[in-house]
Amino acid sequence: MALVNPFAEAFRFLSDPASWRGSGGIAVRLTEHAQISVIATLLAAAIAVPVGMYIGHKRRFEFLVVSVANLGRALPSFGILAFVFPFTLRYLPGIGYWPTLIALFLLAIPPILTNVYVGIKGVDPDTVEAARGMGLAERQILFRLETPLAAPLMVAGLRTAAVQVVATATLGAVVAWGGLGRFIIDGFAQRNNGLPLGGAILVAGKAIVTELAFGAVNRWVNPVRTS
Amino acid sequence: MHSRRGVVLGALLLLVTLLLGACQSDDGGGEAEDTPSKGDVTVGVSGSFAENQIVAEMYAQVLENAGYNVDRQLNLQRREISQPALESGEIDLKPEYLGTLLAYLDPNASPSSDAEGNVEPLKALLDPKGLTLLDYSPANDTNAFVVTKETADTHNLTKMSDLAPVASQLSMAGPPECEARPFCIPGLRDTYGITFGTVEKIGACDSATANALDAGKVDVALLCSTQSIIASKGWVVLEDDRKLQKADNIAPVIRNDVLNDEIEELLNGVSAKITTENITALNAKVELEQDDPGAVAREFLQEQELI
Repeated sequence: MALVNPFAEAFRFLSDPASWRGSGGIAVRLTEHAQISVIATLLAAAIAVPVGMYIGHKRRFEFLVVSVANLGRALPSFGILAFVFPFTLRYLPGIGYWPTLIALFLLAIPPILTNVYVGIKGVDPDTVEAARGMGLAERQILFRLETPLAAPLMVAGLRTAAVQVVATATLGAVVAWGGLGRFIIDGFAQRNNGLPLGGAILVAGKAIVTELAFGAVNRWVNPVRTS
Repeated sequence: MHSRRGVVLGALLLLVTLLLGACQSDDGGGEAEDTPSKGDVTVGVSGSFAENQIVAEMYAQVLENAGYNVDRQLNLQRREISQPALESGEIDLKPEYLGTLLAYLDPNASPSSDAEGNVEPLKALLDPKGLTLLDYSPANDTNAFVVTKETADTHNLTKMSDLAPVASQLSMAGPPECEARPFCIPGLRDTYGITFGTVEKIGACDSATANALDAGKVDVALLCSTQSIIASKGWVVLEDDRKLQKADNIAPVIRNDVLNDEIEELLNGVSAKITTENITALNAKVELEQDDPGAVAREFLQEQELI
C-alpha cells in the first residue's frame, strides 16, 4: 500500500466541492450530526436541569445524584450503544438513529445534573435566608435568586455535555447511522487515509464551534460581568 | 483539591485494570511449564469474530501442547489492524482467508472462486514480507448473501441472479467497505446487475447485521457461509451462480522467523481436519450457546486427536 500523506488526502477531501454535495456528502452529515447532538443535549437538559434544581434547592437525595452522575460517567457510550442496539432494532423504527440518540442522551445527563445541582446548592445560604426573611416564596427563591446565581455553572454543565455529545456522536456510524462518523468508519474500512482524518477534523471543528457558542452564552448569563 | 483526588483515583484504577489485564494474558501461556519452552509464538486473529478465535485457539493449543510458549492476541478487530500487526511482528501467526487476504494485499487482484487458484498469487505477495502461507483447510467461509424464508418465497429467490430484477425494492446490510470492494456493491452491479434500493452499513458476518435481518430492518444481509445463525433461523443463502465470491478457505499465515518444520506440521495437521460443516457447528457453540472459543477448540482438537 502506497503511503499517501493523510493530511494532503484529508485536505483534498475537504476542499473538493463534490464531497460536500449529495446524500452522503459533508453538508448532509454535518446537519445529521448537529441535529442528533442538539436533540440529545436538549432531552438530557429537560430531565437533568429540573432534577438538579430540585435537589440543589431542597438538598434532598443528594447521594442519589452524586451516585447517578458518577455511575453515568463510568459507563462507556459505546457499551450503551451495543447494549441497546438489539432492543431498539426490535421495538423502534430505523436501525442506527435510536441507539445513538439514547447513548448520547445518557452521556449528556451526568455533567448537566452535577453542575446544576452544585450551582444551586452553592448559592450562599445567608443570601437565601435573607430572601426568605424578606418574604420570598420558595419558588421565587429558586427561580429569581438561586437560578440566576447558578446560571454560569449550569451553562458550563450544558457546555461540557454538548461538547462531549458532539465528539461522541461519531459512534452512530458503527450502527449504520450517518453523521460525521460515517467518514471515519467508512474511510477506515476502505483503507482511505484521508477520509477518517477529514472526518475527525470536521468533528473537532464542530466541537470547537459548540464550545465557543456556549462561551458566548456563558458571558451573557454571567451576573458578574468581568469583561 | 477534590478533582485532583479524582485524577489520582482514576490513575490508580487504570493501573489496577492494566495489571489485571497483564495477569490474565499470563495465565493463557502457563500451561506447558513442565517442559522447557521451545520458543515464543504470539497467535493473533485476522478479525475478532468467533470462527477466527476458535481457529486461532486451535493453533495456539497445538503449539502449547508441543511445548511452545503461546501468547494470544484474539481481539484484533479487523484485518486493517491484524495484518500490519503480523507484518511488524506484534503477532507471529493468524488464521486467514485466502481470497479476502489476497484482495486485501492487492486491491487490484481478482481472487479466484477456486481455492488453489489463490495460493500462488498469495505466496508471491506474502514472501517479500517474510510471511508464509501454510496448507489451507477444506473449510470455505465465504461471503453469503442471505434472505429470510419469507423474502425468498415472496420474490422467488434461490440464487443471486434472481435478485437483479427486484433488488431496487430491497435493502441490504453490509460492511462499511461495501462500496469499495469487488465482492460487494461494484461486483454485484457488474456481475449480476444488482443495485439495491438502500445499503445499510453495519458489518459483515457479525451479530448486528444478522439482528438487522432478523428484525426485518433489511431484506438482504451479507453474512458468512459458516455463520451458525443462518441455519438456526432457517434463512436462505442465495447461491452464487456466477461465481462472484472468492474461495475463502481458512489457512494459517505465519512469520518466517518463528516457522520451523515442527510448527508447519502441527498447523497443517489442524488445517486438514477443519471442514465447512464442522467449523459451522463449532461456531454455533460459541455464537449461540455462548461457549468459550478456547474450550470449543480444545474439545475439537481432542476429538480429532490433535492434542
